[in-house]
This record gives sequence, C-alpha cells and structure tokens, in this order.
Amino acid sequence: MTTPALSKRSRNAVWIRQFLLQGCWNYEGMQNVGFAYAILPALRDFYANRPEEAMKAVKRHLEFFNTQPAMGALILGAAVRLEERVAAGEADPRAIGTFKVGLMGSLGAIGDSFFWGALRPMASVAGALLALLHPLLGIAAMLLLYNGVHLSVRRRGFAAGMEGQEAVVGWLKRAALNVRTDDRKLMAAILAGAYAGVFTGRLFVQGQSAAYALASLLLAAAAVHLFVVLFRKAVSPSEILSFLLFVGVLILWG
Amino acid sequence: MVWRFLLAILLGGVCYLDRTAACQLMLHRPLVVATLMGAVFGNMAAGTQVGVVLELIYLARLPVGASIPPDDTGAAVFGGSAAAVASSSIGLDAGSFTALLLLSVIVAEVGKAADRAVRKVNVRIARITAESVDRGDIQAVEHGLLAGITLFLVSGMVLSLAFSMAGVAVSKELLPQFGPASRGNFAILLPALPLLGAASVYSCSRTERTAAVFFLTMAAVFGGTVLFRWSA
Repeated sequence: MTTPALSKRSRNAVWIRQFLLQGCWNYEGMQNVGFAYAILPALRDFYANRPEEAMKAVKRHLEFFNTQPAMGALILGAAVRLEERVAAGEADPRAIGTFKVGLMGSLGAIGDSFFWGALRPMASVAGALLALLHPLLGIAAMLLLYNGVHLSVRRRGFAAGMEGQEAVVGWLKRAALNVRTDDRKLMAAILAGAYAGVFTGRLFVQGQSAAYALASLLLAAAAVHLFVVLFRKAVSPSEILSFLLFVGVLILWG
Repeated sequence: MVWRFLLAILLGGVCYLDRTAACQLMLHRPLVVATLMGAVFGNMAAGTQVGVVLELIYLARLPVGASIPPDDTGAAVFGGSAAAVASSSIGLDAGSFTALLLLSVIVAEVGKAADRAVRKVNVRIARITAESVDRGDIQAVEHGLLAGITLFLVSGMVLSLAFSMAGVAVSKELLPQFGPASRGNFAILLPALPLLGAASVYSCSRTERTAAVFFLTMAAVFGGTVLFRWSA
C-alpha cells in the first residue's frame, strides 16, 4: 500500500501545534486532546480519502496521554513516523499506543526532573539576582536561559522522533539529560546561595559589629535549613506563608 | 485607571495562557508578571521588587502529573499591581512590602482553585470531543482544543482583573488603615521571605554535591555584601 508522504506544510503544522499540547488539559485524558490536535495534520495527509481509518487514528490519539510538555515533542515526532508506517500497512496500530504509553512515563520523569527541578530553578534564581541590577536584565536572562534549552530540546527531540524509534534512543543518549540535570542543579544551588547571601546581608545586618553579622548569617542558614526540612516533611510554601501571615496579624493586634 | 485594568486583563490573559495551555515560555513567572503589572500600574521597579521574592517561593511545588501548584502568576498580578499603587500613595515601606507578599498567598490559593475548576470543565469538553470523533467528525478535535484554550484564556483574564483590583484595593484602602509604626512592626517578618525562596530552590536542587556548595556560596556572598556595606 502506498501512503501519501507527509507534506512540509503538515510537518510544520505538527511542530507548531505541539506548543498547544496542554490546551485542553483535563483530569481524565490529561493531554489527550492536545496530542490528537497536534498530530491531526499528519493524519490528514496519511489517511487522505480514507475517512474511516482517519477516524480510527484520531481515536487512538484521544487515549490518555500525559508527559512533560517539552518532552512531548519527541513522542509526537516518533508517533508521526509510526502512523506513517501504520498507514502504509507496515506496522500494527496497537504499536502506537504501546509506544506512547511506554515512553510518556519515563520521559515525563526525565523532563520533570530536568525542566521543573533543575533548569527552571536555575533560570529563575539567575533572573531574580540580575533583576536587582535592572528589571529587564533579570527578565531577559531568565527567559533566555530557560528558552534557549527548552526550545532546543523541543526542536531536536521532534526531529529525532521524526527519524524513527532508534533515533529517539540515540538522541536520548546523546542529550544526556541526567548529567545536564545534575549540572544545572549545582548551578541553581550556587545561585540560590548567592541570593540568600545578598538578602541576608541587606536585610539582617544593621550595625558594624562582626559578631552580630556572624550571628545573622548563622540564623539565616538555620532558617533555610528549617524551611528545607519542612519541605521534606511535605509542608508547602503556602502553609509556611500562611503561618507567617498569621504571626503578622498577631503582631498587628499586639 | 480603567485603561490600566484593561491592559492588566490583556497581559494577564496572555501570561495565564503561557502557564498551562500554550507554549510554557516562562512568561507566566512572577518576575515577568509582577514587573508587567508594576509597569501597568505606574511603577515597574516596585513590581519587580515583589516579583524577585515571589519568583522563588513556590518553585518547590512542581507541576507534576495531576498536581496543581499554587497560582504564583495570580500572586504576582496581585503583588505587582498592589506594590505599584502603594509606592505612589503611602510609599512601599518594608512593612507594606511584607504584608503584600504574605497576602499574596490567599490569591495563590484562590487561583489554584480556579485552575482546578477549569480543568474539571475541560473533562466535559474532552468527552464531547471524543463523542464527536466517534460520529466521524475529526474536526471536533480542533474545536475541542479551541474551547479548552478559550476557557483557560477567559479564566486567566477574569483572574487578572479580580487580582489586580484586589491589589489596588488593598493598597488604597487596607494598608493606609495602619499607621507607619504598625506597618513597621510587620516588617520584622520580611527577612524570612527571601530565605524561604532560597530554600525552595535549594530543596529543588538538593543532591549530594549541592548542600556544601549552597551554604559556602551563601557565606561568601554574605561576607562580600556586608563588607561592601561597611566600606560604603
């Protein structure tokens, strides 16, 4: 069976539509509508003049799907390539669901750790520090630091996915996201230390006593440690802020 | 003032879209949003001051799976607009600044509840989409997504209006009720807030290597800052 090839226009449309993966995020299928929307231009090409099969293909992609949005590009690219093979009769349609389910959990975990746990904190704290010099400098630094990597992962991941399943594995090895996660966590910790040091120096120290300054530093370090212990015990920042607000109200009444 | 609120609705809507439904380019981060709101309500620098602190505080809560973190975008809309208005009326003293940051936690929780409600409505949209596809209408996927995005956008715009109005009201009506001395007492809590932000980043980035690095950097930069202040 000959399948119409994926047109450049449709490929570009799929690439653009991946940015709306979470456009209809819901508690049942999560990113399912977004994924079906993103892959739809490719399905229209592959199943041109075969409406029944096009409908079945769309239904396949309305199954539950959830992963880290940037890593979704990789799965999307590979799913397009698999759909092409299914449309040509070279692969079993069930392979697509198996592939997506197999990859979304592991890539989601890698992506959450890299993007939310390392890259975003690093970019945020760098931006916050530079914003002390000038607001726009801080914002520009944060957006560039984050999106330089974010958009590159989306572009390269999608391209690797479009080359097929083997290329996906090869790209994941080359990208070495676990190593990059550790590096960015280290950088985030350094910058967060600098942030804490700057604010402690500005807010705690009033006079010119070295002993007072040292006590301030130790108190601030103890406070950070206490907050981290509370986070580890599943106390949220909102709960800590609410407690501080309560203390503030008591101070006002007193 | 009306055009300021209109601008806040537009910019807030775009930032809220970036938060979940589209792109995730970090336009929804408090540093960006609070600075924008500060600029809209007349003092960009005041908005940035709030944004710098809010930016890090909620980082410890990751948007993983079905968990929804507190709405730090909404907190920044509230804090940025309130800080800008306060700076031009009573002045953004340390006590007012602390009060605004702490009050933003209420806004963040309200925004989180609204986000949850939108996602519940999206379940219905997704079901209708699937039913339409079953009937052979594959274009329903595009309509479903458009409906979902519209819902996120409208909710973001409504929240932006509500939170910026709340920010202006707090700065114009609530804070002036307290004298400078009372507000000054409130400022005793201020040093805890940036430290909470730093702890939030540190807890995200905690590995075997990072603990020593974090505290050594903190001590070194603290020493440098103090020496600089003493010599100035």
